[in-house]
Amino acid sequence: MKLHPLSVPVRIVSRGVGLAWAFIIGGIAFAGGDPVLTSGVVVAAVLVFLVVTAYEVAYYRRFDYELTDESLDIYSGVFSRREREIPLRRVQNVDVTRSFVARLLGIAEVDVETAGGGGTEANLRFVGRADADHLQEAIRERRATLDRDESVGVAEEPEAEREAVVGGETLFELSDRDLLLYGALSFDPRLASGILAFAPLAAPFVGDRVQLSGPGLALVVALAVVGILALWVASAAARIIQFYGFRLRRVGDDLRYERGLLQRRDGTIPLSKLQTVAVEENVLMRRYGFASLAVETAGYGPGSTPSGGSEAAVPLAPREAVFSLARTLEDFHDFDLDRPPERARKRYVRRYLLVGLAVLAGGFAVDRFLTSVPWYVVAPLLVLAWPAARRAHGNRGFDLGPDHAVAQVGFWKRRTRVVPYHRIQTLIRRQTVFQRRWNLTSVVFDTAGSRSISAGDAVAIDRDDDVADELVDTSQDSVFDAIYRSE
Amino acid sequence: MERLDSRVRFIWLLRSLVGSLVAGVVVTFAVGAVDRVAVTPVVAGGAVFVVLLAVGALHVFLRYRAWRFEVRDDTLYIERGVLVNVRTVVPYVRVQHVDARRGPIERLLGLGSVVVFTAGSRGADVSIPGLVAQRADDVQETLRRLAIESEPESGDAGDAV
Repeated sequence: MKLHPLSVPVRIVSRGVGLAWAFIIGGIAFAGGDPVLTSGVVVAAVLVFLVVTAYEVAYYRRFDYELTDESLDIYSGVFSRREREIPLRRVQNVDVTRSFVARLLGIAEVDVETAGGGGTEANLRFVGRADADHLQEAIRERRATLDRDESVGVAEEPEAEREAVVGGETLFELSDRDLLLYGALSFDPRLASGILAFAPLAAPFVGDRVQLSGPGLALVVALAVVGILALWVASAAARIIQFYGFRLRRVGDDLRYERGLLQRRDGTIPLSKLQTVAVEENVLMRRYGFASLAVETAGYGPGSTPSGGSEAAVPLAPREAVFSLARTLEDFHDFDLDRPPERARKRYVRRYLLVGLAVLAGGFAVDRFLTSVPWYVVAPLLVLAWPAARRAHGNRGFDLGPDHAVAQVGFWKRRTRVVPYHRIQTLIRRQTVFQRRWNLTSVVFDTAGSRSISAGDAVAIDRDDDVADELVDTSQDSVFDAIYRSE
Repeated sequence: MERLDSRVRFIWLLRSLVGSLVAGVVVTFAVGAVDRVAVTPVVAGGAVFVVLLAVGALHVFLRYRAWRFEVRDDTLYIERGVLVNVRTVVPYVRVQHVDARRGPIERLLGLGSVVVFTAGSRGADVSIPGLVAQRADDVQETLRRLAIESEPESGDAGDAV
């Protein structure tokens, strides 16, 4: 099969125009007004554009893909040829992305991911819209057939069951009201705290120009409020555009999601490849009883994770609904989290106090040697070390169930991660020199999931040394149980 | 529990020597370029070199003392780390492939390393440096055999991901 003919102009525009433009800008700066050089630059830019055009045409002519019963074969390359064969059983995600322009032209980009290597294994830019949907569906169907052959040995496919599978079952749909709520609630509080942290430093500079009493102070405060509001609105708008029309469906053994206002994204995630399930709640969501759900597969490499960091996730739903949905994906137990020992909390108090004192000392040094700042105004904030420590302590915990380990971490954004034992790759105990003083150890449950780099590992932080050892022994046995049970 | 061969300290020491040397030279030139510093460039560079080398040597000593591993029945156990003590358990079932590596200096000293790859995101490659060449081959062979033997007979639970 060939790519869609329209992919040629779109690719030329997206690549060639940028390149030629950069050439012109750079060249004119270089020419410095000399008419001969300037016209030379324009000619060169046109030449670059022509070369790109020729390349893209050749790329199109020499690109070929084919979906067989067992693999997706891709023949590509203009100068050096590459033949790639992707076994369908190894496919993790199939994503169809339609940018705004692509939607106008009726074309789509298809990405196929496997667990291997870095980057996307197959990138089809662009195919026709119908072809993209067909490809996505066909890969799912054939992989399901292959899996069935493997496990049962007989390839029987009742027609009725197949019919039921096609449309899929809608698991979750984000209503417009929830979308707005999500935009409003998903505001990252760290943005605001960053601004607040800078405020005392910025104050003296503003203070030089504005009288810091009465109207001047009000002006500063008003500016800060407006700034925070603007950030909030911007982040909300970005989220809303990203998650507009979100829908999560279950098609056969796959999860299927679609979302996006300008750029539509339509991705599949095979449930059989699911690594971990995570329920995430930020400060605002927790206040109002909402949560979001993230699932993790081994497909996406770090950095290539679809925007937002969460794959087929439920962006926002009431907490209970999120948990019941999570349970339909991964049938985990009713967990009762075990918090770190009491001395861990004392450790946090000291840690936050030390951080606070360091800030104070820094402020004092600035005041002493550089410029006068009211560094002492931060001092009363030291009291916050106690509630902060309690909060950190109260949000960390773990629980081992019959089939899953549950680990919770997070200060601002609380993450509860559910790791099935049969997905655990390695078990790691970590103890820093600071932890050693308190006889505390952290236990990491490492899986093949790809989010652990951006979102952190599933980790039981600050456990008693003996508890950590026991934790590793028990979960190690459970891993073997889970793997060999089927025999 | 098995320890690494003591000659591995020599390799680590060499590495820290090179690092300190580079840092020392950089500091020498940096001090030379700035006029306002009261010390002569060579003294500053030399001091940085000596301090870094001393810290590096101490680190090598502690690192060697902390390193140990064990080829158990079902798992590979590794313990290491000076500032952060890390104890890793790798079930053989999870091993994707095992490499034996020998760098030029390792070869001179008759040493080798074994690198174990899993599909995990964090402990994806676990390496055991500084084994006597014969032992490195042994360990690689043992791990390879155990990884194959531990593969479950049926079901796809054993599938790596």
